[in-house]
Amino acid sequence: MYSWRKLREKLFTCLIIALSVLAIAPVLHIILTVFVNGFAVIAKAGTSFFTDLPPTPLSKDVGGIAPSIAGTLLMTAISLPIAVTLGLFAAILTAEFPSNPLSLAVDAIAKPLASIPTIAVSMIVYTLVVVPMKSFSALAGAVALAVIALPYTYTYFSTALRSVPSVYREAAFAIAMSRWGAVVRVLIPVARKALTTGVLMTVARVMGETAALLFTAGRFRTGVSFSPTAPADAIPLLIFDYILSPYAVWHQVAWGATALLLLAYLMVFLATKLIVKEVRL
Amino acid sequence: MFAVEMNNVSVYIGDRQILKEVTLRTPYNTVFVIMGPSGSGKTTLLRVINRLIDLVEGARVEGFVKVLNFDALHSDPYELRKYIGMVFQVPNPFPHLTIYENVAVAAKINGVAKSKRELDEVVKWALEKAMLWDEVKDRLYDHPHKLSGGQRQRLCLARALAMKPRLLLLDEPTANIDPVNARKLEEAIVSLKDEVTVVMVTHSPHQAARVADYVAVLYDGRVVEQGPAQQLFLRPSTEIAQKLLRGEI
Ligand SMILES: Nc1ncnc2c1ncn2[C@@H]1O[C@H](COP(=O)(O)OP(=O)(O)OP(=O)(O)O)[C@@H](O)[C@H]1O
Ligand SMILES: [Mg+2]
Repeated sequence: MYSWRKLREKLFTCLIIALSVLAIAPVLHIILTVFVNGFAVIAKAGTSFFTDLPPTPLSKDVGGIAPSIAGTLLMTAISLPIAVTLGLFAAILTAEFPSNPLSLAVDAIAKPLASIPTIAVSMIVYTLVVVPMKSFSALAGAVALAVIALPYTYTYFSTALRSVPSVYREAAFAIAMSRWGAVVRVLIPVARKALTTGVLMTVARVMGETAALLFTAGRFRTGVSFSPTAPADAIPLLIFDYILSPYAVWHQVAWGATALLLLAYLMVFLATKLIVKEVRL
Repeated sequence: MFAVEMNNVSVYIGDRQILKEVTLRTPYNTVFVIMGPSGSGKTTLLRVINRLIDLVEGARVEGFVKVLNFDALHSDPYELRKYIGMVFQVPNPFPHLTIYENVAVAAKINGVAKSKRELDEVVKWALEKAMLWDEVKDRLYDHPHKLSGGQRQRLCLARALAMKPRLLLLDEPTANIDPVNARKLEEAIVSLKDEVTVVMVTHSPHQAARVADYVAVLYDGRVVEQGPAQQLFLRPSTEIAQKLLRGEI
């Protein structure tokens, strides 16, 4: 009886392990494939992969993806503060005044907004920003990214703020803090790790976004630009275009760019893990 | 003149009546102890005094409450709370602040200290009053999660004292503390009487006997008995008070 139970337990453990391996194997396979192929390309190109322009279709040289890196950095830098600021204020509003009509409206809008197809966002921003400006631009791309990121920051932030135990809020009020003081001095600092995690997850989301940029950023790959009003490129956009092209050298560039993007992703996730582990509250 | 005066105070949360026509008076510079079984409304009563009841969704207060010189139910709660310190049933020091900062923040918010030196002095004074100074003076910049439960509770007392309040609300401040620390806290409370009026909730008849000047017994939201401590302890007139003092409820 006893040993049968033990055996059953062992079998069960093995089954769980086998199933877990089965579940993560495809993911590991993808990551490995991308890294093996991608880093071979980057190694071949050397540092010029980060500083050069992309190759012409028949070039022997791999060249680099400098315009796309610049564009991704620029558009992330513009869209992130917008999404973080608006998301934070919305989250504070709904956390502090949960039954306020405006809070209810924000809460009601956030979910559908998160599930709008990003290509539709791209179309809308095209008509609202690109058409009046008469040009694709990093700004238009960033606006589209901010619209997509906003429900993410809002959801992460409001979950973070709501998870702060109410006893700290009570303590804040009990020492005569104002409502705003309690938010700034207690609520946000107590939730800071969860908030930072939200920011990083949003960065990951924004960096990888492709469809939102299709009709907004423009694919500027003939130089490195940091001008918000000028057309720009993004790494996922370049990957999307190049992998669909018939040219072998562009495929190589796409592998390299994918590896880079994936590496950035992993670093972001690593950072969130470190944050969660850092000083306990 | 009373530090706290309640007349016919009723509290409803949703449809439920939590406090029922409570009437009580707390003379200045005394320790006023509230006793009563679990769920009888002791914490709710304290929350009415500093208007933390406002934070409870769906809560409604009726009646008249005078706290210090405030018509408490019709005053600005943020102004009112400047004069009232509170220690909660479960220790809740701010986890993101150091021991020093936990005390200092209360002093700063209420303009108790202007310079860094004054602040240092207030922090030391409050920690000494809370009988915690000797244990933390070498690690003021540690975070409170490194303290024991009893030390955390005394830190919360120091935080409340750093406001230089005129009224102190203590909700079972020794509930999670060993007898030695509990005694220390009791001594601290009694020694505070010159400066503040203390309203304190406790479950322990012995503790009440040691610190109380006045006692009110709460049962199912009603004050069933109140009066000077000695009188109440010697001749409790209600069966509920008798049972409570024998530790039977
Ligand atoms: N936020 C709330 N929402 C609904 N009911 C509440 C709330 N807070 C307290 N109550 C109810 O009010 C009653 C009194 O609660 P209170 O916390 O004042 O009791 P207490 O005397 O402090 O009890 P204890 O000794 O267990 O701390 C309880 O029946 C409780 O269920
Ligand atoms: Mg209680």
